[in-house]
Amino acid sequence: MNVTNLKIREIRDLLDKKSFSSVELTQAYLDRIKKIDGELQSYITITEDLALNSAKNAQNKIDNGNSSPLCGIPISIKDNICTDGIKTTCGSKSLENFVPPYNATIIDKLNSQGMVMLGKANLDEFAIGSTTQNIFAKTKNPYDFSKVPGGSSGGCAASVSASLCAGSIGSDTGGSLRQPASLCGVTGLRPTYGSVSRYGLVAFASSLDQIGTIAKDAHDCAFLLNSIVGHDDNDATSLKAKTIDFASKIGESIKGMKIAVPKEFYDENNGINPEVKDTVLNAAEKYKEMGAELIECSLPSLKYAVSTYLILSSAEAASNLSRIDGIKYGHRSTKGETFGDIVRNSRTEGFGDEVKRRILLGNFVLSSEQYNDYYERALALRQRFIADYAEIFEKCDVILTPTTLSTATGISENIMTPSNIYLDNICTVTVDIASLPAISTPCGYDSNGMPIGMSIIGKKFDEATIIQLADAFEKSFDAISPKLI
Amino acid sequence: MDLKMISHLSNLSKLSFTDDELEKFSNDMSSLVKIVDTIKEVDIEYNPIADNKNIYFNDLREDIAKESMATENILKNAINSDNCFVVPKVVE
Repeated sequence: MNVTNLKIREIRDLLDKKSFSSVELTQAYLDRIKKIDGELQSYITITEDLALNSAKNAQNKIDNGNSSPLCGIPISIKDNICTDGIKTTCGSKSLENFVPPYNATIIDKLNSQGMVMLGKANLDEFAIGSTTQNIFAKTKNPYDFSKVPGGSSGGCAASVSASLCAGSIGSDTGGSLRQPASLCGVTGLRPTYGSVSRYGLVAFASSLDQIGTIAKDAHDCAFLLNSIVGHDDNDATSLKAKTIDFASKIGESIKGMKIAVPKEFYDENNGINPEVKDTVLNAAEKYKEMGAELIECSLPSLKYAVSTYLILSSAEAASNLSRIDGIKYGHRSTKGETFGDIVRNSRTEGFGDEVKRRILLGNFVLSSEQYNDYYERALALRQRFIADYAEIFEKCDVILTPTTLSTATGISENIMTPSNIYLDNICTVTVDIASLPAISTPCGYDSNGMPIGMSIIGKKFDEATIIQLADAFEKSFDAISPKLI
Repeated sequence: MDLKMISHLSNLSKLSFTDDELEKFSNDMSSLVKIVDTIKEVDIEYNPIADNKNIYFNDLREDIAKESMATENILKNAINSDNCFVVPKVVE
């Protein structure tokens, strides 16, 4: 049995049956990481000693009958989630040596269950971007090392896809869980805004950021999500909603369920690759065969999605990243005599080009001369997206869209053309803008064998239904794993 | 976006650029602004009151004094002395 290929539920079962120990399992993942990750670069920091220690403690709990759902399960954590005493770099030179003095709330939750953290997963600098290439590590796509894994949770997706962990926790601001999951052939779930505490998640755009999960399938995503949701006194935007089992609807019939198919997402004028379009529409037909009803609908404001997203997220990023000053923590420049010079030089030396572009854009749209034309208009469009989605959900249960316009592109193609990357986010960003939950799951492969993903968008707090639908498809889908060792 | 605007924004952003970088960022920002400019086509008005029902009220915690993080931990990632962050003398 190759233990690293197992799903989280299977591992849970076998750990509880004592088929192998958490230490043996953790060692198997660490061995595989040593073999593959030198080239794949899905991890930015590998916490070997901590992982083996946590595994020993978890095994004691299991042996003493004190097991819990994630006890002894090895996972990766995106490197923008603070871990007490362990470097949290956000993929940025500005936080190269930053060691948080506290845990994010979700880390405390996972630790209390006996989770085993294998390491911190790579990301785009400050989670801004969709290629997972930064000055420390350039993550590859497990299906083809010459291609990007997507991002910004590209390390999370690649580590799950390459079986270098059982599951992963990342964050999603404009598609950062779903897009890399789609490009790496795994399942990514962004829950409703406010479901999971953001305390200890380094902020990019606070009104859009949400922590979520990546795993080998939808059921595993639900399993992980069950362990991290809930209100937190340290995050006033985390909601006091009743907690439910997100896997509770799995296995229920989808007969009669109404699935909306908004035509703009499939419009070739918006840049969708015909192979991707056909594959996702074939998946829609599969749902029809299972008894669901497909409903054609329209989201006319989609053409403004990327601009709305860029304006809102950059404005918030410019404000959030002003805390990076080189004084309280992070890279401090040795150049400059005055306080102002040190701050300016520290930021100039610490941030990469993409982060600088977004900060400039954010300050542009917030400046008094431009505010009404850009930022206020984007706020108005956010209201329109919320209203448009509410209207669609009056007539249907979920919405089915492609997750990306095309499959993974080459690593070198991406670096020179930032503007194309922005436009590629058109399929994912409206979910974040409207604070909705969505899940991306593989639904096919292109002619080069690269994975294609589809997204199922749900009503607020109706994660259970999108998980149910993703699971129903996955059960009839022959997933192809990347050809690694 | 012209060089004057980029210089203005870089001051607001507390970032410095060399002349060559200014040129490059000016081009990059022009293509970015071209994307966000599409928003100007929309005839739409922002209704701040409507956000009250779209955005949840902050669920604030009770105002109870609690022990905060130890100063020693807060200073761990900074140049510090005598329980303070160290910065150059500021006289204005």
